[in-house]
This record gives sequence, structure tokens and C-alpha cells, in this order.
Amino acid sequence: MTAVIQTKNLSKWYGNVLGLSDVSLEVEQGVTGLLGPNGAGKSTFLKLITGQIKPSIGHVAIQGQDVWNNYPLFGRIGFCPEQDAFYDEMTGWEFMTSLLSLYSFSRADVQSRAEKALDFVELAKDKDRLIRGYSRGMRQRLKLAQAVAHDPEIIILDEPLNGLDPLSKRKVIRLIKDYKEAGKTVIVSSHVLPEIEALTRTIILLHQGKILARGDIHYIRDLIDKHPHMISVKCSDPRRLASSLVGEPSVLNIQFGPAPDTVVFETQDRDKFFGLIPRLIVDHRIDVEEITSPDDNLQAVFDYLVGK
Amino acid sequence: MTMSHNAVRSIFSFFFFLGRKARKTKVFFLISGLPVLVALIIQINRLFAPGSGIDGPAIFSSVIMAFNLQFLILVLALFYGTSICSEELEGKTLTYLTTRPAAKSAIILGKYAAYAAFLVLMVAAAVILSFLILNVERVLDLSAWLAMIKALGVLALGLMCYMAFFTLVGTFLKKSILFGLFFSFGWENVVQYFPGSTQKFTIMHYLKSLLPAASTGSAGKLSFLTFKLEPSSAGAAVATLVILTAVFLGLACLVFSKKEYIFED
Amino acid sequence: MVISEQGYVHWQGTFIERRFPWWPITRLGIRLAFKRKFFKFVFSISLLPAVMFSTGVYISERLDDFQFMLKGQDRLLEVNPAFFKSYFTSEPLLFLMVMIMVLAGAGLICDDLKYNSLQLYFSRPLRKRDYVLGKMATVFFFLLILTLVPGLLFVLLKLIFAGSFKFLANYPWIPVSVIAFSLLVTLFFAFYTLLVSSLSKNRRYVSILLFLVYIFSNVFFGIFYSIFHNPYFCLLSIQCDIQQVGAAFFRQSPHYDVPWIYSFLVLAAICCLSAFVLKRKIRGVEVVK
Repeated sequence: MTAVIQTKNLSKWYGNVLGLSDVSLEVEQGVTGLLGPNGAGKSTFLKLITGQIKPSIGHVAIQGQDVWNNYPLFGRIGFCPEQDAFYDEMTGWEFMTSLLSLYSFSRADVQSRAEKALDFVELAKDKDRLIRGYSRGMRQRLKLAQAVAHDPEIIILDEPLNGLDPLSKRKVIRLIKDYKEAGKTVIVSSHVLPEIEALTRTIILLHQGKILARGDIHYIRDLIDKHPHMISVKCSDPRRLASSLVGEPSVLNIQFGPAPDTVVFETQDRDKFFGLIPRLIVDHRIDVEEITSPDDNLQAVFDYLVGK
Repeated sequence: MTMSHNAVRSIFSFFFFLGRKARKTKVFFLISGLPVLVALIIQINRLFAPGSGIDGPAIFSSVIMAFNLQFLILVLALFYGTSICSEELEGKTLTYLTTRPAAKSAIILGKYAAYAAFLVLMVAAAVILSFLILNVERVLDLSAWLAMIKALGVLALGLMCYMAFFTLVGTFLKKSILFGLFFSFGWENVVQYFPGSTQKFTIMHYLKSLLPAASTGSAGKLSFLTFKLEPSSAGAAVATLVILTAVFLGLACLVFSKKEYIFED
Repeated sequence: MVISEQGYVHWQGTFIERRFPWWPITRLGIRLAFKRKFFKFVFSISLLPAVMFSTGVYISERLDDFQFMLKGQDRLLEVNPAFFKSYFTSEPLLFLMVMIMVLAGAGLICDDLKYNSLQLYFSRPLRKRDYVLGKMATVFFFLLILTLVPGLLFVLLKLIFAGSFKFLANYPWIPVSVIAFSLLVTLFFAFYTLLVSSLSKNRRYVSILLFLVYIFSNVFFGIFYSIFHNPYFCLLSIQCDIQQVGAAFFRQSPHYDVPWIYSFLVLAAICCLSAFVLKRKIRGVEVVK
């Protein structure tokens, strides 16, 4: 498959702050997840590939063409920025139609595309309200609508699921999958692993401006799975739950506390552990208040991968 | 640098529409309407005190026009000119424009044209109203109308030239307002008083060369509006203003196209 | 050191109420102002009138030595109430004060509105009046350096250079006038700055407005005065109002034949308007219709 986006030795620094360091990669058709904790360089990478900033060193090309100042290329790209910024004195409808009119669509086409995009993000009934009156979730959906309204071939979404409620998240995930099926190229950035997992198997892990890992998410998952997981269960009878799991080989360690109704398990096989738990809870009639994974966040994974 | 006229037109419509809606425009519309209020007060006074010796047409050509020329267009051009680039950066909305298939120069030119258009309309409305109020007895006098249209043309030219300059300033300076205030009320208001060729280093010199009436007002408290003009010829003044506008705009497009803008967090 | 786990940790300390809850806001405002480009330069420039007048105090005590420079203008260098009035109501000083406010004061409230910081402020043990006081104190800090400090310094220098208390014996009320007028003019400018700063979320717009209202009020006074020759139009000008009140505070005849109390009332009205607007604008939650 030919690469849609290519970067070679791509580096960017802001004064003496390193944003991105020596990133060479090729992004192919389909959905690619860009994962990394805050400050990893995800937004810098996306700004570079959308031609908003110039590389300090290196080269970036989309479909074989240079990106910087190559404005005809932008007709094929849809970009949803991270920042919560709008022309607040416009209504949602005015915002959409104004931006669409910057493409060479007819007036009728502009209107039908705006309508379709707003309808999709469920803002149709609020389209005549001023954007400054929109909630965070509505603003996020509007940003997404402007990125896809012109039906681009390449869609670049910087933290698109931020601030969305679960239903909207599902809808956006569905949309991205539809784009994949339609043969488009989508890059989605996030610092939340499960969000990316729901979207794609191809990921790029960024950390401190460098590519830490790249490829199939299962590879990353395996790496993660080698790292013991902490799972905390807050329930009515933690000792009983612990005794029922003591014989389980995947459980490496059991600790009580810090609260009297909490037990923390350390496991090497998270999926198996989560498969067992529901049955045990039902069998022993234990009231469970909360199950959390204190280290189930990307930072913990990164810490593990970089050997901290 | 290539760009399509369609892109400029689309950007123009975008910002002409947005600019008209903005709250700040309403405030500046009120401010630009202040000369109308002055004209009204003067005319009402004339009605109630007919022997006061106040000459409406003279006041229009000296006071109202001098105010517009030396203060109002500078402030309007400073704010809107520097806004063209700065407001996109401060509002972090630049991304929406620079990720569209429109040349960066089209963004500058389209936005400049949009703001210049509604500022000219705004000032023209106030000037025509002031003219009508102060020239109520000469309303059918063609020469008065011609003089007013000439004055309006000079104001429009001034607005466009100053706006082009401040557009350029806004593309490369972050603290463009402070610089603009020093330029407008420092450089432009001081150097124009210098004798000989020195005054030709101000834009105001060429505007006043086209509108000498605005610079020969009465003395006393209005002396701050007057200066010893050593005018350039009308043709040279117009040509200089047009060339300056084109040069400033060209440079603004160049800087905006080449420069990388990073949002402040 | 206690290492807390990730998540919410309940604070278990005892709350000690700050005596001056507004002080951190003031400190931040001052620090941010000095971080701004060109601020230090403009602030240094604004101290020039004080330096010049201080030199004047020195020369006034050594008139014989400077006679060759003064060429009969020595009456200008007499340190008396008129000298103080000249300093406090001089156009360059007032203009520089406006420029200081453009740089240091424009963003005081407007930046908080832009970044929705008011919610953060009011989620702390802070009342609205502490917030306003904190912001005002920032303006006070800068403007008192330009008014009160030089004013008292002139008195001190005069006493030192003269080597006697004759000046104070002649004008015992001068220090009180210096303090009162400095506070008044600073209070007015603080209200004026906060009023304009609370009108928008756009700092550039606020900067222009701060400058514009001050200049235009003066221009319109000039226009009307030249046409109608009526001194009461001086009430339109912020600068003239300050000058009229300044003249009264230093027991000098005002420049325009208008009772100074009218000018004082105009300034007071602007302060009241500001207080009213601030009361409405400063709230923890923005209501969008």
C-alpha cells in the first residue's frame, strides 16, 4: 500500500523546547491512532502535517507533495484542531457555511453540506444559536463537523473525543470507522488508550517528541500485558473476594487498603482477571461499589515502556 | 505568490459579514458617529442663537474633517488593521483559515478588503450626515457636495493606506497596538509639523495635501489640529498614497505567507 | 513529605484566613506588568517628569548659580503650590499615566474574562470586593509611584536643599494636598481602567478604548470650546477635569472659570459608573443568553 503521509527526520523545536525529534514514518490509508501523554508532541506532529508550522529540520509530504504553503492540497484535508477556539459571534450555521464557502462549492452545495454535517453531529436544532452559547461538547462536535463537511480524503483529528459524552463518543467512533471503510485516511490523536483501541489497531506511540513504538496495537498490548496491572476493588467483603482469588495463577499479589473496604490485586493477565470477577461477585454475593485500575493510564504504560 | 480571486472574495464575504456582526464594530460605529453629534449640537445652537456667527459649512470643512482625518481614521485603521492578523492569533482561529484551500495572501487581502469596506461605509455615513446637518441651507449647492465627496475620497484613501500599514505591522509585531499608538499619535502627529521634506515621511502629509481646508482651521484651542503644510501636488499625493497602500499590502502578504505563527498557551 | 495517591485528597489542614486576601492578586498583576515587553521602558520614561521636577527643586535653591541658564525665567522655578500643581496636572504626566494603564491595566479584568479565570478566583476564599481591590491595588502601585512618591520627594528635597523648615511653615497643607490629590487621581484612574477592562475580553480593544476615551474627551472639549467659547465644555475632558480639581487641591485658580466641584463630580460619576459596571460584570459564572 502506498503511503499517504510521509515524514523524514521531522523535527521541531520552539526556542529551546523540543516539540518533535527526528520522526520518520509513513502513514497509510485507514485509521492511525497517535497516542501519547500530554506534551508528547502529538499536536506538534499534527500541526506539521497540516502545514500550520514549518519543520525545523526534516520534511513532510502528503500524497507526495510538500505541505507548507501548498494550499491547493488543503482541499483534500480536514483538520479538527485541539484548541477550543471559534468565531464566537457567529452561529453554528454561519460558521459552517462561511468555512465551506472557502472551497469551490456552489451556494446550494455549501448549504446542503453544512446541513448534513450539522445534522450528523446533532447540532441541527442549535445551528442558529451563537457559538459562545454552546456547551463544551457542542463546540467539540462543531469542530468535528467543520473538519468533515467538505468530505476530505485525509482527516486529521486532534483529540476529537475530548469533552464528548459517551453517546457522542460512540457516534464519532462510528463515523471514523465509516471513513476507514470508505478508503479514507484518518489520523486521530488521544492520550486515552481505550479510545484509540476502539478505533484502530494501527498506532504510533509518541513520548517526549520521539516515536516510542509503532505498529499493531496488540504488540503494544503485549508489552503492557507483561507489565503487572493493579486493579482495585471497593466492595462489601474484600477479604472474601481476596480468598476466592488467592488460587488464581494470574494473580501475583493481593493487598488490603488503603481504605478498609478496598482490596488491590496485581495481575499479569488483565483480561482473564476481568473475566473472572463478575462470576465471583455473583457467586459470593459481594456488593461491589467500584472497580478501578490505578495504573491503567497511558502514563503508566509509557513509564513501563521507557523503563521508569 | 498565486491566489484565486474566488478565495479573496470568499474571505471578503466571510469577514465583511463577521465584522458587521461584531460588538466592537457597534462601539466603533458609535464613536465614528460622534462628529454627527457635534454637528447636531452646533446646528441646534445656531437655531437658538442665530447671531452667534458660527459658520456651519466652515466648521464641517475644518473641524469635522480635521477630526476625522487626524483622529478617527487613525484609530479605526489601527484597531482593524492590526486585527487582521492579531485577532486570529489571539483567538486561535487562524487554523480554520490556513487549513483551507486558500492562499495566505488571499486571507490577508480578503480580510483587509472586508474591514476597509465597512470602515469606509461607517465613516462615510457619519460624514454625509454631518455634512447634511451643517449644510442644511446649502443642501442644493453642487459645489458643496463635490467638496464633501472629495473629502470623503481623501478619508477613504487615508483609511486604506493606514490600514495597509497597520496590517503589515500586525503580521510581524505582537505588541502592534502599542507601536501603533506611538506611530499614530507620536510620529504622524509630530513629524508632520516639521518643515521642508521631513513632513513627507508621514502619511498624513499626503492626506492633508489633498485636503488643505482640514489643516487651516482657526487658531487657539484648535491649534493642535493645524500645522504649517508645505503640500505636495494632488497627483503626487494620490499616487504616493496608492503606491504606499500597495507596498504595505504586498509586504503584509509576503510576511504572512512566509512567517510561521505559533499560538500562545 | 506526604506523598498522596492519584485522585482526590481531602485537605486536612486548618484554614488560616489571609489578612489581605487581595494581595496575591495585586502581586501577580505587578509581576505580569513587568514581564510585558516595553513596559519597563515606558515606565522608566514616565518617571522623567519627576526627575525633571526634582532637578527643578535643586535649581530653585541655587538660582544664582543657574542664572545664566534661566534668563529671567526663575519665577518658574519657585517651589510653591503652583509648582506642585504644575507637576500633578501636567499633560505629559497624565498622558504617560494613561500609557502605563494601557500596558499594565488593560488586561487586569479582560484577561480574566477571556480565560474564564473568575470562576477560579471565586472558588477560593475571596470576595468580589477583594478581587476588585486586588486589581485596583495594581493600578495604585504604578500610579502612586508617579504621583505620591515624587510629590513627597519634592517636599523632602526642598527641605533638604533649603536646610530649613520655612517651606513647610509657609505651606503646611502641601503634604496633605499631595497625598489627597495623588490618592484621588489614582483612584479615578483605577476605576477608569477597571471599567474599560471589564467591557471586553479582547485586550487590544481595551487598550485602544483606554486611550481613545481619554484623547477623544479632550478633542471634543477642544472642538466645542473653540466654537462656543464656553468654559463649561471643559467638563467633557477627563484631562481638564483632573486639572481643575488639581488646581483646587493646590489652592490655585483653575484654568477655566468653572467651579472645580463640577469637575470633581464628573470624575466621581465615572467612578460610580465603574463601580456599577464592575458589580454586574464580575461574577463567577458567565451567563450566556
